[in-house]
Amino acid sequence: MWWYVGKRLLQAIPVILGATLLIYAMVFLRPGDPIVALFGDKPVPEGTYQALREQYNFDKPFLVQWLLFLKGAVTLDFGTAFSGQPVIDLVQRAFPVTIKLAFMALVIEAVLGVAAGFYAGMRRGKLFDSTMLVVSLLVIAVPIFVFGFVLQLLVGIKLGALPALVSSQATFRELLLPAIVLGLVSFAYVLRLTRTSVIENLTADHVRTARAKGLPDGQVNRRHVLRNSLIPVVTFLGADLGGLMAGAVVTEGIFNVPGVGNLAFQAVRRGETPTIVSVVTIMVLVYVLTSLVVDLLYAWLDPRIRYA
Amino acid sequence: MSRDLNPDQPLLEVKDLHVGFAADKKTVVPAVIGANLSVYPGQTVAIVGESGSGKSTTAHAIIDLLPGTGRITGGQILFEGQDIAHARKSDIIALRGSSIGLVPQDPMSNLNPLWRVGTQIKESLEANGVAKGKAADARVVELLEEAGLPDAERRAQQYPHEFSGGMRQRALIAMGLAARPKLLIADEPTSALDVTVQKQILDHLDRLTDELGFAVLLITHDLGLAAERADHLVVMYRGQVVESGPALEILQDPQHPYSKRLVSSAPSLASQRLSSVQARAEVREQAVQTAAEIAAEVATHDDELGEGRGTIVEAKDLTKVFKIRGGRPGQSTDFTAVDQVSFQLERGTTTAIVGESGSGKSTVARMVLGLLDATSGSVEFDGVDITTLRKKDQQLALRRQMQPVFQNPYASLDPMYSIYRSIEEPLRLHGVGTAKERETKIRDLLDKVSLPASVMTRYPNELSGGQRQRVAIARALALDPEVVICDEAVSALDVLVQAQILTLLNELQSELGLSYLFITHDLAVVRQIADNVLVMQNGKVVEQSTVSEVFENPREDYTRMLLDAIPGGSIPLGVVEAGDDV
Repeated sequence: MWWYVGKRLLQAIPVILGATLLIYAMVFLRPGDPIVALFGDKPVPEGTYQALREQYNFDKPFLVQWLLFLKGAVTLDFGTAFSGQPVIDLVQRAFPVTIKLAFMALVIEAVLGVAAGFYAGMRRGKLFDSTMLVVSLLVIAVPIFVFGFVLQLLVGIKLGALPALVSSQATFRELLLPAIVLGLVSFAYVLRLTRTSVIENLTADHVRTARAKGLPDGQVNRRHVLRNSLIPVVTFLGADLGGLMAGAVVTEGIFNVPGVGNLAFQAVRRGETPTIVSVVTIMVLVYVLTSLVVDLLYAWLDPRIRYA
Repeated sequence: MSRDLNPDQPLLEVKDLHVGFAADKKTVVPAVIGANLSVYPGQTVAIVGESGSGKSTTAHAIIDLLPGTGRITGGQILFEGQDIAHARKSDIIALRGSSIGLVPQDPMSNLNPLWRVGTQIKESLEANGVAKGKAADARVVELLEEAGLPDAERRAQQYPHEFSGGMRQRALIAMGLAARPKLLIADEPTSALDVTVQKQILDHLDRLTDELGFAVLLITHDLGLAAERADHLVVMYRGQVVESGPALEILQDPQHPYSKRLVSSAPSLASQRLSSVQARAEVREQAVQTAAEIAAEVATHDDELGEGRGTIVEAKDLTKVFKIRGGRPGQSTDFTAVDQVSFQLERGTTTAIVGESGSGKSTVARMVLGLLDATSGSVEFDGVDITTLRKKDQQLALRRQMQPVFQNPYASLDPMYSIYRSIEEPLRLHGVGTAKERETKIRDLLDKVSLPASVMTRYPNELSGGQRQRVAIARALALDPEVVICDEAVSALDVLVQAQILTLLNELQSELGLSYLFITHDLAVVRQIADNVLVMQNGKVVEQSTVSEVFENPREDYTRMLLDAIPGGSIPLGVVEAGDDV
């Protein structure tokens, strides 16, 4: 198995190189001059302009820019933002918040999604099942920012049950509402996936054999239906965790969460290459690592899968 | 309720049982109509019938595990005098495992792939209060040993995918017997296994029955097997019990027309008869004659591959070595699946390749078809080495002249294609005829395989297994091939359907002068279809001879073992012969 883990980590290197190169190319091709934009309406003094261009390597061809970034990245120097702060500091502040948010969303969608999906699958065609099918379809169909604003208004402002905005502290209570919004769409997918999988497994031969052994229904459902139904769900959740990080841009914007989504969004608007590329690099790294963890989890859930 | 068994009282009594499946809210499709049967303590009773006869439904009704919308709509099921057809759910759960055990049909799908085999048996012990914790673990090992699994302690720690089919079935037997039930329902326990493994498993089950004294309700489609293993037979046909009585009596003097058909045509029984040898000789004579005419034609045609030789397929020293990836990158071990196999297939005859799973017989078939490259050796089709065919039109010609029929008619037809489209596809691919001509051809093909033209617009899921295999044969014949390679073409079918398909293949051979390469694990079917036999074991040919020679004077122990494994082979038959009008 260690061979496999090592191989997967080695595979991450070309992925990160490719991703950063792609981002560099895209930022380079972006219309407008970031330095000019920095001064807003005011005229830019020629000397300062040249100095800034040199400081941020904007005067060099983009391949050179990219190589210089890589050189710095190896020593954990990701450059400085336009505000003068080292990018690494910005990222260090924003990442824990986003990870906390994404993890909360993951727990909400996984726990509630599997529970509701399992219950719906067991009572196929009954009221709960039909309701869940309609609700999940609705959740999938409506854009996420609509839910964001509606919940913010209803729960956060009208009812005042939860904070409507997130402070720089980003406490658990403050993050609850954005986490629900962030996890909502995936909750609907997890629910549907679990439901289908449970229905399929209920008629499996080995489930009948388990009943024929004299096992009580509870044990049959838990040990032979639920566990087998989780395999496709785990695959989905793994792929989704990366999506939760990226999808955080919209949700973080609505609730003013000081996370990477916000950071990346601001940096893109300013054309601040070092920040954008740093955030993306770390996102890629997180994605590679989570998918590795999911694959290992997958092997633990399903003994037929062995990595060599 | 008294737990003592009275040998005069039936352990299980099914009285006028009706089972139906609800098609919609109003209509109920009956599956079992007024079935009666009784099983006495320690007795083995077999229910025999084809797919859809209601035999498995009866078995599942007894332990209340009817699938889907199935319901008991009438009658009684008395177990030790108590009606369990109308018992509460908790009472039935209490009965399962401890009083009535089940050994299911397909060992591949009946073990949960996510739990260790030992854990799954332990569940049965714990659920029925036999043993707990460490004691249960120890008992699991004993049970696996009892079921004839060597190295049981290690095996209990393994997962189902690490077991072969036969080993899984042994684990399922251990599971079914874990709580020492008084009645064991064995639902086609060996139909998914090779005949030799089938014999081992059933022999073992027989020994356990004798030692432990439980009663067995054996469900099977094979009359030969039922008669060999059971004291009492119940023959079911279309949901009804048509005949029941002592096994030998039914076999030697069947009363109902359906039982008569079963006795006369089940390949396991028919293979003993000399009449099948004579019938085969007649088929061959005619086929060889027709084939010679075709050969003469081929020799003069340029667009056909080959020279019109008498030997249509010749394999020389065919060898296939697979590389198996090792634990580390770059590591691999060689596995020789086929080792120096040579044979000749004469025009208008059938050569059978017989062996167990893993003997390499299917690999040979794939190499002959050109679907797999041989590591060394050659295959000549009518004097042309097929491994050297480089030109596209030559390769296409080979495909036209050599066609396969595969084992599983459920998997080899595209479920989204209508029957017409499935049969038309090869014709269209090879650009044969106009749309109108193709339709005429398809009608003709369906007629040849005895299917009504009305099936053209239907889809595979609307047809039975036997009908689907007829479609697969029609598709194989669409391009007028000279050679048809049948890879376990009848193994997935019920005995009577097997017999029908074998008859069809014989008829087609004599009519069209076809040559067959017939791959099978079951020697029983060989006598009705083949002229020459190759017996393969572990990739090597161990015996190669004519069919009658192999049946009458088997030289190798392995061949003898395969012959012994034919169920019902030792039972003296009655007067019914294949030719009788029934």
